[in-house]
Amino acid sequence: MKKRIIFASALTGLILVFGLGGNALASGESLGKCSVIEYNEKIEAAELTPQSLSDEASIEVLAEIFDSCIEAPSPIIPEINEVIWGGGAFVVLLALMLWKGFPAVQKIMNERSEKIATDLDEADKAKSEAQAVKTQYEAELADAKSAAAAVIEEARQQAEVLRSDLQERAESEIAEMKEQAAADIDAARERAMGDLQSEVSEIVVGAAERVVEANLDAQAQARLIENYINQVGSN
Amino acid sequence: MSDEKIQSYAQAILAVASAESNPAQVEDEIYRFSQAVQASEELKSTLSDASIPSVRRQQIVEDLLDGKASQTTAALVSMLVAAGMGSEIKAIADQMIGLGAESRDKAVAEVYSVVDLSPDQQERLAAALKSATGKDVEMKVIIDESVMGGLLVQIEDEVIDGTVRTRLKQLREAF
Repeated sequence: MKKRIIFASALTGLILVFGLGGNALASGESLGKCSVIEYNEKIEAAELTPQSLSDEASIEVLAEIFDSCIEAPSPIIPEINEVIWGGGAFVVLLALMLWKGFPAVQKIMNERSEKIATDLDEADKAKSEAQAVKTQYEAELADAKSAAAAVIEEARQQAEVLRSDLQERAESEIAEMKEQAAADIDAARERAMGDLQSEVSEIVVGAAERVVEANLDAQAQARLIENYINQVGSN
Repeated sequence: MSDEKIQSYAQAILAVASAESNPAQVEDEIYRFSQAVQASEELKSTLSDASIPSVRRQQIVEDLLDGKASQTTAALVSMLVAAGMGSEIKAIADQMIGLGAESRDKAVAEVYSVVDLSPDQQERLAAALKSATGKDVEMKVIIDESVMGGLLVQIEDEVIDGTVRTRLKQLREAF
């Protein structure tokens, strides 16, 4: 695109330079309303030579020749040849512009417009995609926050359940330990009472046995046998 | 040892004793000797020790019964020891006593006492036991100091306990 613009600019410049240059060269062949030939004829008619131009009379004659040829130009209407050259150059330039320049510029502008439109579409598309991604990210972020909150809540509930279980277990164990301790105390007391009772009975029965043995002489044995016989016989 | 073998020996001893002029004496002496063997673990193991020659064991029996029992009794016990029945003397004697009493329509009453019973006491006790159980009994008095005092009578499976030992035991359990 830039190459085309540069090419069109260079072509336009060349046309202007050579067009205007040609016009200038054409106007260089005349001086005022006299042609070079007319000047030469008037100078020859006045018999002027380069050597005679040193005197005032010759200079005045030359000045008159010049004045006769020089006509004050119109400040509004250009000279015909300039109009012709200028109009031709304009027409050529206009034709070139209509033929190559305008389509190229139009094409460049269309391409530029299409590119801008495409870029805008792509930008809109990218914006939409970014918006979608943003929305998705926001949704995922919201989901992540929700999931994190759910996990935290679940962890909190589990911790609460665990704490409750541990507390119940500890209380249960404490109660069992208390019951066991109470049972141990009762068992120890009963065992001690039993041992004490056994020792007491052992002492008492031992004393009774010693008393009985000391008193079980022959007469006592005979009396016990008689009591046995009488008791069995009475049944 | 099988009950059949013990019963056979008991019946053989009863047959030999019945041939004597006083079979009840022979039965009583064998029974008392069996009680003595039962009371002495050393004597029981010696009479049943197969490593000791049977002649030696018979000699021990004869020495123990010499002058204390009839020759028939000594011969029968010696025969049991020589036959390797030293450890079964108690069972054979019990079987013999039971069979003998049964043949006379009586039951055996084992009487445990610290002191021996006089004939009068035995007669009155037999009458009392018949009154209590309805059975005629032949008493075998066993001297047992562990009863401490009083009497314990066992007739077959029935036990009538009137000993001081049992009363003290009841006293101990009452505490």
